[in-house]
Amino acid sequence: MRIKSLTMNNFMPYKGVHTLSFPEHPNRNVMLVMGDNMRGKTSFLNAIRWAFYGRALGRHLREIPTHQLHNTEAGQEGDWMFEVHIQFESEKHTYDLRRRASKKNMVAIPNSPEDFDVVIGLQKDSMAIRADQIDFEINKIAPEQVSRFFLFDGELLQEYENLLIEGSEQGKKIKKAVEQVLGVPALIYGRDELSTIFKKAQKQQAKDLSQVKGLERQAEQQAHYQEKQLILSGDIERIGAKLKETEKERLELDDKLDGLESIHEAKAHLDMLQKRQKSILTEQEGKQHLRLEAASDVWRDLLSVKLSIKRSQLQARQKQLAEKTEQKTVFETKIKQLEKLLNTSECPTCHQEIGENLREEAGRELGELQGKIRTFEIDHKESMEIAAELAHISAIRSTGAGKRIESIDADLRRLDVELTQVENDAEKKRKEIKGYDTADIARMRALRDTLLKEESTLQKDIDDTQAKIDDITRQLEVLAKLLQDDPAARASKSTAKVRVALELQELFKQSIERLRGDLKGRVEKLATEAFLHLTTQKSYHKLEINDNYGLQIIDDTSQRVEVRSAGAEQIVALSLIDGLSRTGRAAGPVIMDTPFGRLDLKHRENILKYLPNTASQFILLVHDGEIRKETDLEPLYDKIGLEYEILEVSPRHSKFERV
Amino acid sequence: MSITEPTNVGLNQGTHQKLKRLKEDGHFGEMVDAYRCAIALALAYGVVPDDNITSRSNIFNVGTVDPDKEIYTAIKAIIPKGDIAVYKMAERLAEWGVNELSDKAKSGFLDFASLINDAESQLSS
Repeated sequence: MRIKSLTMNNFMPYKGVHTLSFPEHPNRNVMLVMGDNMRGKTSFLNAIRWAFYGRALGRHLREIPTHQLHNTEAGQEGDWMFEVHIQFESEKHTYDLRRRASKKNMVAIPNSPEDFDVVIGLQKDSMAIRADQIDFEINKIAPEQVSRFFLFDGELLQEYENLLIEGSEQGKKIKKAVEQVLGVPALIYGRDELSTIFKKAQKQQAKDLSQVKGLERQAEQQAHYQEKQLILSGDIERIGAKLKETEKERLELDDKLDGLESIHEAKAHLDMLQKRQKSILTEQEGKQHLRLEAASDVWRDLLSVKLSIKRSQLQARQKQLAEKTEQKTVFETKIKQLEKLLNTSECPTCHQEIGENLREEAGRELGELQGKIRTFEIDHKESMEIAAELAHISAIRSTGAGKRIESIDADLRRLDVELTQVENDAEKKRKEIKGYDTADIARMRALRDTLLKEESTLQKDIDDTQAKIDDITRQLEVLAKLLQDDPAARASKSTAKVRVALELQELFKQSIERLRGDLKGRVEKLATEAFLHLTTQKSYHKLEINDNYGLQIIDDTSQRVEVRSAGAEQIVALSLIDGLSRTGRAAGPVIMDTPFGRLDLKHRENILKYLPNTASQFILLVHDGEIRKETDLEPLYDKIGLEYEILEVSPRHSKFERV
Repeated sequence: MSITEPTNVGLNQGTHQKLKRLKEDGHFGEMVDAYRCAIALALAYGVVPDDNITSRSNIFNVGTVDPDKEIYTAIKAIIPKGDIAVYKMAERLAEWGVNELSDKAKSGFLDFASLINDAESQLSS
């Protein structure tokens, strides 16, 4: 399949008529559409989806109601018709598809999907297709179930990354969706139909056998199991309905909360700032307390400065007095020695008699010393007073209060600056959330969390009940086989019917497993093929698929790679989508909306090199922030057939410009 | 002739108000802390206080201000002996000191570190 042109008239932001040609050359099959966020890239994707399948999807795959697909400005000008027209070719046939919605005559201002009449027309090789055949014809070319893999957005990628988490709830749901795409349901429906036939036949059999002597007990047991199975099936239906309702409610809350996320974040930030404000105030209070404690000791610091001089003076005087006392002691000793020498006329060291000259000299020296010592007045009272005063003064010591206060003051100044900053930030946040009921946002968040838990509980209830049903089903099958061997039972027509239904049911079960196995093998092969082109890691050898269609990376030593980066997850998801897309349909266009989220340059380059080769046309919708046109798109340069830019005319009006 | 030490110390009434403000404004935890600091400040700055305090009133018992007689010792050590009681001198020093502290706290912030640094630099000059 190959799209030739797309014309939108008043569709979403595209007011008036906008026609885009698509690249038709097989080697220049890339079309690049650049546009800022909110300009209409996803609306472009939705135009194609709506034209083909009559639906446009918003967040969480929620369908956008028809009346919201109409351009608002056109409505204000009284133009209430919108249309998408696609010309395409497939297997050498040309097609002309047109879907148009017009306001009903009786409606003044449309505000619900019912206020529009929607008509669709499809021509194949210029021949109109009957209205009731159009969906069939489209699904033959581009099955709706596969559409998400070629009309591809970032949300899908995120969803498929969840598949890679073994046993996740979302993984199970996606598994169902994947099997839907791959055609497994045809067999599943067949098996379920046969299961119903089997149940009916067994019911009849129980009725019939209750009349046969000797088989009453088996008939009764069979009836008992059937009744139990019926009750449990009812339970599953009831819980399933409740689960759907809960899910719907939670998704609605999710949508509302998505819009209020920035308010919630601002409120959380404000709470954090207020908490910090409180803690700064407490910290300041503590510091103030310490400052007062230190202030009560400042007088000691001040006095110790002054007293240090006094202390030095006293210590100097004390030293002087000590030296004087020492000197006196020395003189007294010398006097005693000289007196002894003069009295004995004998040397105190060698005990020899000394001469007259020496005695005279000693006498003179003694006289001088006796004269000197007379002037030595040692004031002992002063010494004692100095010692006492020094002891008192030394008790008044600095406690370092000044230094402590200096450090506390520095802390207080820092806290003051921080407090001002926090108060300013808090004021900004208050302005941001002004007018919003943050209590209601908190309520919705709490309710959303509760609903999520409830969903998981309900899902578990369903799984448990299903396990009980499966158990009973097995019991009934065993009973059915036992009865087949009983000659009395075999004679009944209902037993024959049970046997046929049971055997067919078994056949379908095996077929389902076989089909699943084949499909998984094919998806694994194609996804591996894509992965090896996309990955930058040379040691990765292949992808291995699990029961839930999750993929594991296997390295060149046949080991599973357990830890994967966000980028690697995205590449694996992308490979899976490519594998599923190619398993589910013949080659066709791939339209990717904002797909490069977390990928590095090399991975982007690999995607850009690979995907144009697997698709008939590769349409890439990107914004400036996601890709640098001049450098990142280099691998595509020789493949780009057409390039457009989405420009803003007004907030509700965008237009295309060919580059 | 022996000098009798007073049992109470106080301040001029206006200065007493300033002392109260020093506590109320959170510069000191207790008035007595400010009173002690005022005496020490005057001593550290080498102030020669005025002789008389007019409109004086008692505020503290001497035992409250100087339980271990440390201030008494400091005054005796720093100020040359005169014919005035030590605690009378303390009172006069406090009078000057409280006024000084009150002046310095006018901006709302009493910079103790600067008070101590100033006292040190006065000594070294």
